[in-house]
Amino acid sequence: MGVVTVDLKMLNVWVEGLIRGGRVFGVQAKNNRFQFAPLLMAANLRLDYDVTVIPPKKYMQPAREDLLTFEGAAGFETCLDQEPFILIGVHPYDVAAIAQMDAVFSGDNVDVHYMTRRKQATVVACDVQAASANVFAGCMGTATVDKGFDILLTRVGDHYVVDSRTHKGEVILGNLVKAPKADAVSLARREQVWEDNRKYLRKHELRMAPETLPTLLEASCDHPVWEEKSQRCFSCGSCNMVCPTCYCFDVRDDVRWDLKGGARVRDWDGCMLRDFATVAGGHNFRKNRADRYRHRYYRKGKYMPAKIGHISCVGCGRCISACVTKIANPVEVYNRLLEVR
Amino acid sequence: MAQTRSSQEKDIYRPEPATLAKVQPVTEMESFFELRLDSGKELGHMPGQFVEVSVAGIGEAPFGVSSSPTRQGSFHLLLRRVGNVSSALHRLKAGDKVGIRGPFGKPFPVDDAMKGQDILFISGGIGLVPVRSVIQYVFDHRRDYGAVTILFGTKSPADRLFVDETDEWKRQPDTVYLESVDRADASWKGNVGVITTLMPKITIDPVRTVAVICGPPIMYKFVLMELNKMGVPSERSYVSLERHMKCGVGKCGHCQINGLYACQDGPVFRYSDLIPVREAFR
Amino acid sequence: MSNPRVAIFDFACCEGCQLQVVNLEEDILSLIALVDPVEWREAMSDHSDSYDIAIIEGSITRPEDVDRLKTIRERAKILIALGACATMGGINKLKNNFDLKEVRQAVYGAAAGMAHLNTEPTRALDEIVKVDFKVHGCPIDNRELGAIIRCLIMGKTPVIPTYPVCVECKKNEVVCRYEFNEICLGPVTRAGCGARCPSRGFWCFGCRGYAEEPNVAAASDVMDHYGKTVEDLKSRLTLFVGQQEFPP
Repeated sequence: MGVVTVDLKMLNVWVEGLIRGGRVFGVQAKNNRFQFAPLLMAANLRLDYDVTVIPPKKYMQPAREDLLTFEGAAGFETCLDQEPFILIGVHPYDVAAIAQMDAVFSGDNVDVHYMTRRKQATVVACDVQAASANVFAGCMGTATVDKGFDILLTRVGDHYVVDSRTHKGEVILGNLVKAPKADAVSLARREQVWEDNRKYLRKHELRMAPETLPTLLEASCDHPVWEEKSQRCFSCGSCNMVCPTCYCFDVRDDVRWDLKGGARVRDWDGCMLRDFATVAGGHNFRKNRADRYRHRYYRKGKYMPAKIGHISCVGCGRCISACVTKIANPVEVYNRLLEVR
Repeated sequence: MAQTRSSQEKDIYRPEPATLAKVQPVTEMESFFELRLDSGKELGHMPGQFVEVSVAGIGEAPFGVSSSPTRQGSFHLLLRRVGNVSSALHRLKAGDKVGIRGPFGKPFPVDDAMKGQDILFISGGIGLVPVRSVIQYVFDHRRDYGAVTILFGTKSPADRLFVDETDEWKRQPDTVYLESVDRADASWKGNVGVITTLMPKITIDPVRTVAVICGPPIMYKFVLMELNKMGVPSERSYVSLERHMKCGVGKCGHCQINGLYACQDGPVFRYSDLIPVREAFR
Repeated sequence: MSNPRVAIFDFACCEGCQLQVVNLEEDILSLIALVDPVEWREAMSDHSDSYDIAIIEGSITRPEDVDRLKTIRERAKILIALGACATMGGINKLKNNFDLKEVRQAVYGAAAGMAHLNTEPTRALDEIVKVDFKVHGCPIDNRELGAIIRCLIMGKTPVIPTYPVCVECKKNEVVCRYEFNEICLGPVTRAGCGARCPSRGFWCFGCRGYAEEPNVAAASDVMDHYGKTVEDLKSRLTLFVGQQEFPP
């Protein structure tokens, strides 16, 4: 599969073509921040963004989706979103997160709702051009990626290296196939971008290899950090909601006014919320703030690795930014565990 | 955008239709339900597993299956009216439709660790519901097991469940059935006190006995302490834990007990496996 | 089975929550297909003393209001508090921060002494009678009211969020007001409005009352970080939740 170079003008023409061809979501400015949103013109695309408020998981697992519909007691019908779409500008750490979510939703029991959307997605990744205030992907091995995307864009000077790795990527390349092959200089400059990103996307420095986290956590249940930090926790779930590897959900039935038909709806949920572990009858199996707070870090650093083989933190830093009381910095928490109690 | 279609690929969240064959009030708060899958197939569960029951428009909730797979043709639930789904089910009648997913979860080890052993059942309140499935299974394979001891505790005499059936259990060979109530009424002649007050009254061979335990969260600690005193090794005690098993398939996250999923790794756990799990007994 | 009879009443309020019911527009036809309205001063001329569900807007500020509320409670099988005034006293409760004589003087001037202008400290409905369900907000969200009514008719307990507004801001990808160095009450306020204000660029006023177990102390702790003071925070809390009690 080809690696080509295109100038900014050509890239724009290509993106305009994609927009004309179907559903395209790209990174755009929103207030003083960025978000993935329906892309209406190439000029709105901001590949120079630092981080989006919400990760692109929202296109595979929307904040709210209909899982099933029902009409009276006649039974339930599956709802599937089968329209193809293209995501443009996914940063490597988010690509890594999507790969983890794929493992979660395709493993054991296949979640056909997630997987249908996932199969319809073409992921155009883009190497980071501007480091966000709290990114630490460099520490998590996710500052760059080698797989999990269909096309990778890397800005080198005044042009982009466009690297298509999959059939899906080839399909949307269109005229870019005819663009000049990337020469040794461009490829070397791309290597430099990768090296720089691995080195500089470290606004916080994790003082351990991520792989050692499960062992560290094994011995840290009673560390004072859980109680200390959680005293300032709103239990607002912001860290959960913005996390590209948080996928817990709630399910409920919504009925129409006729009270006969309606939908079984899936919503994002979060383990930091007070009633996450409450059962019918009211017993809350995780009622202390500190226990919920600890659960989140254990899930990321110990439980998920046991399930999917990866630390479930890709260093995007969104939780750090989203937390109003500034207690959600995983690097700070994990580093604290190294200290004497 | 979202398109509805009948699923070609299996949808793990889509319930299959079932019909209530019988609905019978048992206590003020609890009713008994007999169900059949509309497909005509057996549920295919093992004792200790649970199903997700849907009432369209109300929602879905997990309930332990109360009958043994040895009793074919239908399966049983016994529900306390505490949530939206259980309350809605109480308003339904025979012939009404519900949705079923499952069976899910790990069962009690009736065909391995329990085989050839003496069995001690300890259940409190609606904890008897999934345990009844195991008791029936054991009685239906009576020669595969040794002595059977059943302890059942409830708040009051009016809260006792499966009263006709427990009378039969008393008459089974090599079986001891004891019950207790926290608060007696004028008619009650039996034991009064929490379930652990029954434990000194029984004689078991602790290294030949497997304990099957299910009850409210508060019960486990005291029962397990008592079993320890009686010399039953933690490797031989099995508990069924309650959590909000919302999806039943290890995705939604609600039922996690530290790193374990009650819906997949449980709800039945070997007690020795739970000793390092801090969130197990809360 | 006949539809439940519904009566809508109001006490001290701006009637804006009832207006939200009217604003259901075509859905109001769906609503009255499910319930029979028998009294609703804002929208109809009928009157009835026989009803199953009483929906009450407004807070209780006069002795005669207490008697009327108790009568309604006795007659209704289900009592629903509609909007912030009814659920927690609302804006009206601001007056409890002042001397009542001064309040009357400021509002009514020379007429302040007239008997019918008598006033008491403002109370929410549940400070006087049992309230079965609360429809939070100032004003209420009429879609939420619709969902609650559908639930009641189906015999289902409506699920009202216990968590803070932040959840809904994030789901809607709203840029946090704290990023603009503004104090927002979202982190301690009950969700369910769909982050109505922050989505439109305003801080959350707390009109749905506190979330369950609000961590107000945490908010005080971080005011410095945003260049604000605890006094700034308190002044914002005064508007709706200042008088609301919560477990520390």
